[in-house]
Amino acid sequence: MRRLLTLLLVLLAGPAFAQSSVVKTDNIRAELISAVSEVKAGEPFWTALRLTIRPKWHTYWKNPGESGLPTEITWKLPAGAKAEPIVWPAPTLFNIGGVINYGYHDEVLLLSRITPPADATGSFALSADANWLVCEDVCIPEEGKFTLSLPVGTAAKPADADTSALFEKARRSVPMESPWPARFGLAKSGDPTLVVDAKGLKPQTIRDAYFFPAEWGPVASMARQKASVGADGIRIALRKGDAKAPEPQQIAGTLVLTEKTGDGEQRQAFDVVAKRDPAFVPTSALMATGSEAISLGEALLFALLGGLILNLMPCVFPVLAMKAAAFAKLAGHERGVLRRDGLAYTAGILVAFGAMAATVVGIRASLGDVSWGFQFQSPIFSLLIAYLFFVIGLNLAGMFEIAGGFAGVGQGLAAKGGATGAFFTGVLAVVVATPCTAPFMAAALGFALGQPAPQTVAVLLALGLGLALPYLALTMTPALQQLMPRPGPWMDRLRQFLAFPMFASVVWMIWVLTQQTGPDGVIYALGGMVLIAFAIWLLRLGSGSWLRRGLAAASVLLALAAVLKIADGPATAASTGNAQGVNFEGWEKFSRHRMTEAAAAGKPVFVDFTAAWCITCLVNERVALETPATRAAFERTGTVKLKGDWTNRDPEITALLKELGRAGVPLYLYWAPGAAQPKILPQVLTEAAIISELDRRPTCQSSSSNAARSC
Amino acid sequence: MPKLIVERRSLLLGAAALAVAPSAFAAADLGKPAPAFSATDSNGKAWSLAELKGKVVVLETTNHDCPYVRKHYNSANMQSQQREAAAKGVVWLTVASSAKGEEGYVTAPQANELTRTRNAAPAAFLLDPLSRIARAYSATVTPHMYIVDASGTLVYKGGIDSIPSSSPSDIPKAKQYVRVALDEVLAGKPVADASTRPYGCSLKYGNNAA
Repeated sequence: MRRLLTLLLVLLAGPAFAQSSVVKTDNIRAELISAVSEVKAGEPFWTALRLTIRPKWHTYWKNPGESGLPTEITWKLPAGAKAEPIVWPAPTLFNIGGVINYGYHDEVLLLSRITPPADATGSFALSADANWLVCEDVCIPEEGKFTLSLPVGTAAKPADADTSALFEKARRSVPMESPWPARFGLAKSGDPTLVVDAKGLKPQTIRDAYFFPAEWGPVASMARQKASVGADGIRIALRKGDAKAPEPQQIAGTLVLTEKTGDGEQRQAFDVVAKRDPAFVPTSALMATGSEAISLGEALLFALLGGLILNLMPCVFPVLAMKAAAFAKLAGHERGVLRRDGLAYTAGILVAFGAMAATVVGIRASLGDVSWGFQFQSPIFSLLIAYLFFVIGLNLAGMFEIAGGFAGVGQGLAAKGGATGAFFTGVLAVVVATPCTAPFMAAALGFALGQPAPQTVAVLLALGLGLALPYLALTMTPALQQLMPRPGPWMDRLRQFLAFPMFASVVWMIWVLTQQTGPDGVIYALGGMVLIAFAIWLLRLGSGSWLRRGLAAASVLLALAAVLKIADGPATAASTGNAQGVNFEGWEKFSRHRMTEAAAAGKPVFVDFTAAWCITCLVNERVALETPATRAAFERTGTVKLKGDWTNRDPEITALLKELGRAGVPLYLYWAPGAAQPKILPQVLTEAAIISELDRRPTCQSSSSNAARSC
Repeated sequence: MPKLIVERRSLLLGAAALAVAPSAFAAADLGKPAPAFSATDSNGKAWSLAELKGKVVVLETTNHDCPYVRKHYNSANMQSQQREAAAKGVVWLTVASSAKGEEGYVTAPQANELTRTRNAAPAAFLLDPLSRIARAYSATVTPHMYIVDASGTLVYKGGIDSIPSSSPSDIPKAKQYVRVALDEVLAGKPVADASTRPYGCSLKYGNNAA
């Protein structure tokens, strides 16, 4: 029986494998395929040049970047037939020894829509000449001739399932029209900054944003882009391109966002056409760009200078002040002790920077080209640093003395005497230098990232050496030490005075925090500090009762709980008020009660958990959930459509997500009629997948005439 | 919006750090002095741009195995432009900037052999195995073309012609940007198409960070 079926299938499928043609080279397997096995006269259909590319090699996008050439297809069609230009899937960025290329690896389908003549009969013959450039390190221009003949019928017939799946996937990878308006401003230097007015996005969920300019000219593809995501949208600082045209009035391209969703990362592409906004003149913010030629020697020198300047940063200064206080204590000691102290401090800084370099190199090795910058914008980090400064400030002011093993680990260790203490003061200096100088560090790291591993490490170590240098010089040079005053009561006064720059740094960090989380951040941060101060006061009353200790511990825990609150916080800050809300048109509002009730009644139920800031959700809506065909299928099957809005972390939805083992949205559930459990649908939806899911029902239940389908 | 204020502020600090030595960030900009360089040619002779002041200079990055370089050499387009330029007193420098071990890297004898077999006529074939010249000019492809006028100003950068393809049959149809630009420069006119899209193989910087 099965054999018979197979035979039948082969016979039926026969025409679907009509003479598609394949060209094979050492580097590419190219095939012309069609989304239909039979065409209808005058009715457009999709074809694709399917390029299967040798591993590590790539072909090019419509704008190839700084080198390379796009693939070209020249059609030869019967009179009356029409071919449209290639529809390009979103490209990938390749960094070929510093030269930026845009293209594709592994496999790509270049889609073209073909319209057969209105009077076509018999068979429709297509032929195409294609040429492409395929590169690894070296480039090889290749070409192929393709022919395809499709029978003309009374209705278009879709190709076999595998081919249809390929087309579905390809269409999904084509950028969709941007749902957000975009504009750009030109800085005085002529460098454009692109602003995509995507309101209410959550910066934490977007790992990467990159703008692929559609053509050579207005935007330099070599330059590193500096993207930031805030509640008001996405802002990408670009560098002007080499076109001679005076000032572009329009910039077109493809914006690719990498979004962290419940199940990992999703890459979403949007076609953006930005109009010039003459009122918007960005301050030129581009610094370390890939196109700048700087030698390693110069880079090291910069890094060293940068490190020296780090000493003056508001955050580092207090650490240095601590160091100065410690030094004053050491004054009068033997030179050997001083020297050891200076060296240990330097070592601490270098180890911390070394660790950072290792992270950078590690990330690059595992993820390929990384754009740095989002990592530093964590509000949790800002809050913890604010706490740390606050505690150090209290200590300096004399509220408490550090007795072994108390307080924050970093500071506790830093407060230890001798070389160990000096070492950890160095580490601490690097840790606190980071948040204050994040963008600068990001730029420096951005440069470092573009370099091979040894240079990356060297540049970061030079930065560290610069940071360590003033103190190192002080401890190494007896002449400078002579300038330091003798120990005395002034040391205590100095120490207390130094509490003030430390508290000033706390103010700064809280301000940074409010920029990240909105005004609520102040409550949590200041409340947390009151609790911490309270805990310290309790402990200072003497090593007493368990009650006191317990209270102190509870206070500290509560202060740390603010961190969790902050992590949640941006949802309230970023998405209430100005967010484009979730659209409920055609949907009922989700409630667990409504869902279970409808499912128990034997109705099909489709649940869409979404959020205003979720880009993947938005794309799914546009390409799969709200298309006419899907709407009709929902209608036809009488499906109950529920939508849950998780923009502000609705607790009922959060609980359900947890039950299903999900960390976030998008999440799509489908209860088949009478099912006891919902089915979790994939995170990336297609129209075909939803419709086939919905249509599975009638064949199972009814004795419909369509018996060929199986359940 | 608020978030961006954070950045801008801190950026100022960063900018201050970088402003210390802005010269290293200078790029090859049109209408500005062309980046200085010095290099040794395939016959061991030393060249420096500074010494060529008063003459119009053409820079041509090359990689003899690149299909786009071959397009213009196999069709004799490059060589004939080199001869025309020489006849007009222009100094045409062919520069091999591929890193050692990369495609297009040549030793001095290999460079001379190439000039012979390609029947080329550059004023010199400069060896740039550390890609210094290419980096100074932000060259991205081979061939990437530059013209420096008699006062040392960069007046052209971009492609050799207007049709980016590897097919020699396109050459007669293409606008030969460099030839046109040279005529304009020699006639004392501003270059109309001063910045065009360069096309070709990516420049093989390899691990040359310097």
